[in-house]
Amino acid sequence: MEAAAIPAWRTNLATIAALMTRAKNELIRVPGAAIPGVLAPTIFFLGLNGVFGALTQLQGFETGSYESFIVPVSMLQGAGFTGAAAGVNLARDYEQGWVDRLLVSPAPRWVLLTGNVLAASLRSLVPATFVLAIAFVIGAQWPGLDGLVVCYLMVAATAAVAACWGSMLALRYKSQAAAPLMQAGMMALVLFTPAYAPIELLQPWLEKVAEINPMTQVLEAARQGFVGGVTWADTWPGLVALAGLLAVLGALALREMRRTNA
Amino acid sequence: MPAIVVEGLERAFGEVLAVQGIDLQVDEGEIYGFLGPNGAGKTTTVRMLTTLLLPTGGHASVAGHDVVAAARQVRASIGVALQEAALDPLMTGRELIRLQATLQGLPPASGRARADGLLERVGLTHAADRRVGTYSGGMQRRLDLAAALVHEPRVLFLDEPTTGLDPVSRKTIWEEVRDLNEEGTTVFLTTQYLEEADQLADNVGIIDSGRIVAEGTPEALKGEVGNPHVELLVGEGAVPEAERVCAGLGKLLPPKDGKRVLLEVANGAADVPRVVRALDEAGIAVESLELVRPTLDDVFVAKTGHHLEKEEAGGGDEEPAGA
Amino acid sequence: MSDLATTARVVRALGARSIRQTFRRPQLISPIVVFPTLLLAVQTGGASAGVELPGFPPVQSFLQFMLAGAMMQSMMLAGNSGGIAFAVDIEMGFTDRLFAAPIPRFAIVLGRLAGTAALGLFAAVWFFAIGLIFGAEIEGGVPGALLATALVTASALAVGGIGAAIALRSGSASVVQGLFPLVLVVLFLSSAFFPQELMIEPAKTIAEYNPLSFIVEGVREPIISGIDATQTLEAVAAILGVVVLGLVLSARALRHRLRVG
Repeated sequence: MEAAAIPAWRTNLATIAALMTRAKNELIRVPGAAIPGVLAPTIFFLGLNGVFGALTQLQGFETGSYESFIVPVSMLQGAGFTGAAAGVNLARDYEQGWVDRLLVSPAPRWVLLTGNVLAASLRSLVPATFVLAIAFVIGAQWPGLDGLVVCYLMVAATAAVAACWGSMLALRYKSQAAAPLMQAGMMALVLFTPAYAPIELLQPWLEKVAEINPMTQVLEAARQGFVGGVTWADTWPGLVALAGLLAVLGALALREMRRTNA
Repeated sequence: MPAIVVEGLERAFGEVLAVQGIDLQVDEGEIYGFLGPNGAGKTTTVRMLTTLLLPTGGHASVAGHDVVAAARQVRASIGVALQEAALDPLMTGRELIRLQATLQGLPPASGRARADGLLERVGLTHAADRRVGTYSGGMQRRLDLAAALVHEPRVLFLDEPTTGLDPVSRKTIWEEVRDLNEEGTTVFLTTQYLEEADQLADNVGIIDSGRIVAEGTPEALKGEVGNPHVELLVGEGAVPEAERVCAGLGKLLPPKDGKRVLLEVANGAADVPRVVRALDEAGIAVESLELVRPTLDDVFVAKTGHHLEKEEAGGGDEEPAGA
Repeated sequence: MSDLATTARVVRALGARSIRQTFRRPQLISPIVVFPTLLLAVQTGGASAGVELPGFPPVQSFLQFMLAGAMMQSMMLAGNSGGIAFAVDIEMGFTDRLFAAPIPRFAIVLGRLAGTAALGLFAAVWFFAIGLIFGAEIEGGVPGALLATALVTASALAVGGIGAAIALRSGSASVVQGLFPLVLVVLFLSSAFFPQELMIEPAKTIAEYNPLSFIVEGVREPIISGIDATQTLEAVAAILGVVVLGLVLSARALRHRLRVG
């Protein structure tokens, strides 16, 4: 039987959907599997708020509510963890031979990668929502519907970026031993920003790093609703940054996927 | 058009040449057995033919498509069940085959119908909605085989499909392979089990250390290394007399243990009655008689100097239970 | 060779093995070195303006203040990693090999703890090196650094005992790994990263009574001002408390493991 009795785009979409369905099994069919991904950013949020909350007394903070200031950081951290976890799962699939099943099928490589990345993107909304709910309980400012939408968009796209990064490393090293690199990379990307304090209050070296780190734009876009109002001027740099990260890391991940038989 | 054509195929891993310029051809509708010990290069060869590994030298085509230049067309034409079953323990059997159908580009309705049909064919309907992680080893292999067939491939690659299975499960897989072949599927089967190659394959290629050392039908290969011989267990002290009687009936072989007479016979089973009659007329009691045919291991020893299968302590073959 | 010498030799060999394991597997060394260093950099760079808050203890720099917290984080994660590695040994059957050997049972646990303590020592040295490279001063000088290092090493031994107990009790690496969030909670609810007086409730009150806070202050004091007998004794008392808890839990868990096999 020859494949592609239906148009290629429909086959590709069906394959992406099937791979996303498989990815959700990990959350639904393994008891407690969702907990670590939700717990870690929540603990960081509550911990950082409890530890550094007094920083809002310093001049330069746009808000007196540290929980409002830090909640987007924790949501993006959660997105980073989720995306990195997608990479770790891919490495595990590789070790167990599952990836061979995908690679030996006629599905295009970009389709196989997209399924994994989109699944991470969707999955990241779970810890993000949990952290946000906790934040509201302890008094974070309501960001407005526009602020909420922008924030969730930043979170989902950051998870996609993290999944591309994790997938690239998984396909490069073909081993779960690369997990720390996946996690540390995303941690650095999210935290070497004005995560703990406004950029003006950062130490000079971190201020310089944050200025060139594209994730700074993403964080500022995600944070704007929580500390003030949403403007297009504060949103589009985040979108551009994410588009750039996705383009670069996506291309690198695809390259690794194409080179798995080298 | 041949189903598989391989010319000078090579694969190097750094300094190590795992596959050293092999040539082979598999005709449409054939079962080709690729036999060799662990580390011989069987799996590396299969991975190159299924586009999972790029060759570092030579050429290969599968179903008329070059494995490098037309890899996607190759993947659309082949089914693969690799050495590791590559199943997801969290999925049910039905979900897995439907996913495979989607990966192969089947429309949803066709995919569902094919999944149901294949599950029934491999005897997994009762377990179709259970998670794969609960399946036995034999069930997992059958599921893997079913997944490889979902798009009715022209060429089926089976990499050691019965390794680790119990005799009953092995027999089930063998029957399925025969049925598939009768329906027209070309099968490329790697195995380290002599009997599997002997039972299933139309042609056998024997690989050792990355090279094909022998190729042909099982009978032709075995015929190359000699005739069958009869092993006769006679009473203690009767061996010299028995050897004298048998000397004119065939070629005496070196004694094994002092209790048996080994006699090579040119016509196989047809010569056995003559031997028995002669011994009977000489008043020599025969406690047991066995006609021993050359095995593919004998072929392997003749070509490489070492055995394909390790002998158990105390001698004897370690072949799996037969069909 | 005397029993004591044999036991010491066994403990040393198993300790060396656990150290080699950690350094050969990125998944085990990363939480001890990479993440705490990253966090130190981020927190120092991001929250350093906090030294200007009224009530912040007099320090040369925020980095100087944070060194103790980084060492504590590394030490706690070393204990967790050690527990995970021990649980993997149990799952793989390696501990059965040890139990079948003519060695004292407690030597098996001590060997693992020796490895964890060595990692604690490594953590202290690593962060002292980082601190000195980036300009932090150790007010207590060499004696202060040695005291802090000794306290971190002893804490690693103590926390490692709890990790080993959980590993022996559960026999599952994923259970021990699942405790990682708890490690973070204990750290955040202490004065590891910020002065307890400047924390927000309820974290502030919890930190006041958290034994880890006493240990952190004992490690921090020689770095930011000099050796203080009271802080040191409080830290030692807290460590001893955790040691006792770890010993009791480990002994019971070991009996359980020998019983269930």
